Amino acid sequence: MTTPVIRSSLVLSRIPIVTPDVPAFEKAFYQYQEQLERRLMWTFPKWYYFKKGTVAEREFSKAQKYPIPNHRNVWFPKGVPDLKHGRDRRFKQDIILPKKNNDVEVSTTTDDGGESAASELQNLDDIGRPIKANSRITIFDEKNDQTSLERKLPRTLYLLIKNNNNNEWTFPSFEVSNDQINKGLHNIAEEGLRNIGGDKINTWTVSNTPAALIKHNNGINEFLIKSHIIAGKFNPTNKNEYKWLTKEEIQDIVSDEYYSKINHLLSQ
Amino acid sequence: MYTSRAAIRVVSHVKPTQQVRYKRDKTGLNPQLERIVSQLSVMSAGRKQPRLLKLCNEDYVKHKTVMKAWSHYRKAKIQENEKLLQKQYESMKEAVSELQNLSPELFEIANEHQYGKRFPLELRVPTEYPPRQIWFYDYFPKQEAK
Repeated sequence: MTTPVIRSSLVLSRIPIVTPDVPAFEKAFYQYQEQLERRLMWTFPKWYYFKKGTVAEREFSKAQKYPIPNHRNVWFPKGVPDLKHGRDRRFKQDIILPKKNNDVEVSTTTDDGGESAASELQNLDDIGRPIKANSRITIFDEKNDQTSLERKLPRTLYLLIKNNNNNEWTFPSFEVSNDQINKGLHNIAEEGLRNIGGDKINTWTVSNTPAALIKHNNGINEFLIKSHIIAGKFNPTNKNEYKWLTKEEIQDIVSDEYYSKINHLLSQ
Repeated sequence: MYTSRAAIRVVSHVKPTQQVRYKRDKTGLNPQLERIVSQLSVMSAGRKQPRLLKLCNEDYVKHKTVMKAWSHYRKAKIQENEKLLQKQYESMKEAVSELQNLSPELFEIANEHQYGKRFPLELRVPTEYPPRQIWFYDYFPKQEAK
């Protein structure tokens, strides 16, 4: 009887760096709820936050837009205003904060909130510089550089490498020889990764238990071990092709049979 | 707003820790009491509540539809997630039971309890916008102590 061939593969993922993109439906619903909440909000107690007669109170009062009060012999087409504490109780209250000198116009589009990194670097020493968020879309997204770890920030990326034998994209996979058996599947996979990609990589193995098993037609049993990359870089020593891909991109690149086995392990 | 008389009744037992002399003012309240009145007025609903929301029939139906759609959406999402977890559990179970048949030694190691296992501190929680340095590339492994 021949011993069965066991392979240990590493599902190496880069966890998201920014929060996931909000789908259009969720965005619309949250906006609706926010508007409802604002309509049902109590009036802002200005007298509590701003002491009477101070500069802050004057600036705040100046920035507000006050509704027109009710007046006798005046016809209001949208109904009689009902003012209490300077707020029309029929509608939401808009609180406008007075502008500061170093305030910048915040763009309403949330997807790209920043300018290029080069111009930001110039004024980093200036403490009074305006606060500006970095862009959620990086230059590697624009270049579509699939070997970069700094692409698709809201998504989980997985490391795939190209097999030189059959030109197929798979997770990095390593054979378990008999003298290695005492190390366990997870250590074999992690060591194998360092053999092909250099040891300047910091990973965290999720568990020593395999997450899935792929049974190949040629009698190979491939066990998948999950792991996260924390720091460093996958830098192949033998010029292997590799890519950091999201779930959809993996579906396009791997064979359907392979994808159906790993589909449930990948994060959306 | 809270009436000043009610406030006096509420806080009559509150004694200031320091005796301070204020300008005599026959009309207004003691500044300490005044502060308490304004603090209470923040919490009380008087004159701060908006008008009741009165929806016409059509708007009400719209609101109902929106809420129903949201609950369906949430339910589908939760169910999908549960299904995924179930699938992941099944695949793990299948892999481990197969490993037991193939190699009992590897099975033993795969099921060893990892005491004191924690998430590494270097793992980042996702934020709304990326940091200035997105990824740390200059990692090198710790040198073994001689």
